[in-house]
Amino acid sequence: MSTRTESVDLVGDEAAVNLARAALFAALVGAFAYVSFPNPVSPVSVTLQVLGVFLAGIYLGPLWGPIALVLYVAAGALGAPVFEGASAGVGVLVGQSAGYLWSYPLAAGVVGAVVHRSTTLRDPASAGLATLVGAMVLGTVVIYAAGVAGLVVVLSLGPVEAVTVGAVAFLPAEGLKIAAAVGIVRSDAIAAA
Amino acid sequence: MTLSYVPGDSLAHRLDSRSKLLVQVGFAAAAYAYTTPRGLALLTLVAGGCLWAAGGGARDLWGYRFALPVLLVAPIVAGATLGDPWFRVGRAGDTALASYRVAVVLVVAAAYVRSTPVRDSRAAIRRVVPGRAGVFLGVGVALVFRFLPLVRHDLLAARTAIGARGGGERPVRERIRLVATAGLSRAFARADRLGIALSARCFAWNPTLPRLAFGRADAPALALGSGLLAAAAAAIV
Amino acid sequence: MIDVDGVTCRYGDVVAVDDVTLTVPDGEFLVVAGANGSGKTTLVRTFNGLVTPDEGTVRANGTPVADDLVAARTAVGMVFQDPRDQLVSATVGADVAFGPENLGLTRREIDRRVDHALDAVNMAGREDDRIAALSGGERERIAVAGALAMEPDHLVLDEPFAGLDEPARRSVIDRLRGLHRAGTSVVVVTHDLRDVLALADRVLGLANGRIAVDAPPSAAVDRLPALDVRVPGRFEADGDSGAPADGDAEATADDSAAGSAAGRKRDR
Repeated sequence: MSTRTESVDLVGDEAAVNLARAALFAALVGAFAYVSFPNPVSPVSVTLQVLGVFLAGIYLGPLWGPIALVLYVAAGALGAPVFEGASAGVGVLVGQSAGYLWSYPLAAGVVGAVVHRSTTLRDPASAGLATLVGAMVLGTVVIYAAGVAGLVVVLSLGPVEAVTVGAVAFLPAEGLKIAAAVGIVRSDAIAAA
Repeated sequence: MTLSYVPGDSLAHRLDSRSKLLVQVGFAAAAYAYTTPRGLALLTLVAGGCLWAAGGGARDLWGYRFALPVLLVAPIVAGATLGDPWFRVGRAGDTALASYRVAVVLVVAAAYVRSTPVRDSRAAIRRVVPGRAGVFLGVGVALVFRFLPLVRHDLLAARTAIGARGGGERPVRERIRLVATAGLSRAFARADRLGIALSARCFAWNPTLPRLAFGRADAPALALGSGLLAAAAAAIV
Repeated sequence: MIDVDGVTCRYGDVVAVDDVTLTVPDGEFLVVAGANGSGKTTLVRTFNGLVTPDEGTVRANGTPVADDLVAARTAVGMVFQDPRDQLVSATVGADVAFGPENLGLTRREIDRRVDHALDAVNMAGREDDRIAALSGGERERIAVAGALAMEPDHLVLDEPFAGLDEPARRSVIDRLRGLHRAGTSVVVVTHDLRDVLALADRVLGLANGRIAVDAPPSAAVDRLPALDVRVPGRFEADGDSGAPADGDAEATADDSAAGSAAGRKRDR
């Protein structure tokens, strides 16, 4: 039974754990679509996907964070109910939320790059408040810029109209998520990274 | 209810997943190339045909209800102006067509989701994406499907537990932090166990290719997909 | 055959396994018992190279594990605690096929192995069942089938009964007995011997990373309670006999999926 073992090219234990983490993070971002909270400053309720994007960058770094979000987008396109409202399908990737979705891997990469400064991860709690908040504000800018651009292209809207439809009602809640993410990093409850 | 794979033996269920992906890509391209009342009317028939061939119906589209508010509001926002004439019908019409375009593309996506098990999607990834990237993406996507219900359960259980302990009176930011922390630490614990299990089962870069073969029914589907793509290309050139 | 020679494993300053030497012959049903933190999980994970010893060597069928990980991992199949986190596919057949696919076997051979493995755990014909709709005992048996599909010489199970209810435990034990009779070597890691003592050829008791007991079951049974290992007929009146409540909740975590009722019924 140990025939041809030399032809098997093992992935490697570290890469296997990294893939497992990326997949679990993708599932977490998808599961966040199912948990909504009332928004104190807007009638649109808050779901936590964007928090998942921040956390992927913070905990998985600038390489595996984007990979996690690529898995999220790919799994959603192929039928896993992970997109907004537990929807799925290739169509969503060219629909109204296209810009937001395509930006997630990039945003996770930006957050990870600012927090870790290299592909070697450090303890995110040591990053300092300004760095953490700065990273996530930058991530938010990436997501909303892409999201609004997506609306302009997909729904033939002007820039101001796209901001009205796609950002005004949602943007205030991002502050909450940034604050929550800072709380998570600083609470020391997560020791896996 | 959620749109998801439903076992069955409809025409679409019997198609190769790659044919179905080509039809989706072709359809989306065509919908963007022919966003005219005539073009979209024709594509509506095609989309309905796809969903019908997958044994689906209007019920499956309910999963996309979240999209409705934006798709309905967008034309109004586009038409409205500050000052005379207050509402520009032409602008609103353009955006209404664009909104409708999004809706028909979602119908075709629903047909794929309804008729394609993860196994076939994973097989398509392995065949379409070359080398190590394809192996990683294939296994990764399968793992997302597998672990989504578990992680969702973790999160909902955390939210219920926090609510039961009077968490409802805490500020929203604090509740989000508690739920996300619980979800995150469970996800990490699962991932570390899963990673070891993958290694124990010889997770390799060069596994046996999944079984996937075009059948006779794939010919018309491939023709439809490439026809739509060609039509889209013709409109652009 | 597994040969462990002078193996020491450390995690930082903690010595998890302390200079252990051990041979597991083919065909043996070995039970590795010990309290939490006694080093039993770390020890068995050196058998297939999931843990690399800091000192000493481990050989599987004569070849050092570190020299050929694939050979070690096909010779020693491993099933971990909590099957939910080791099943990788949405359906039973795809999951059991995962290991053989990694070995690059032909589709024909993979199908044969999947059939065979499912048959060995009493799950024949269930290829298309959804993993999420299985009961805890069925999931455990699918995890065992996934390891069996590699056609290992040794099957190592780490706390296979944790979180399982009584009928599910019995269904798993029953399958282990069948596998052992059919010639597979079985290594069960546990802190609770009540389920497996009758099957064991030999019992290894670990304490603080060292072998404290190495004896046939009849001789081991009196010395194990000192290691905080639960044995039959003792500690039955303990408030915490049976699975911890948390473990029970775990086992049913994704049973909320539709169809789980049917899946559970089949198991009982």
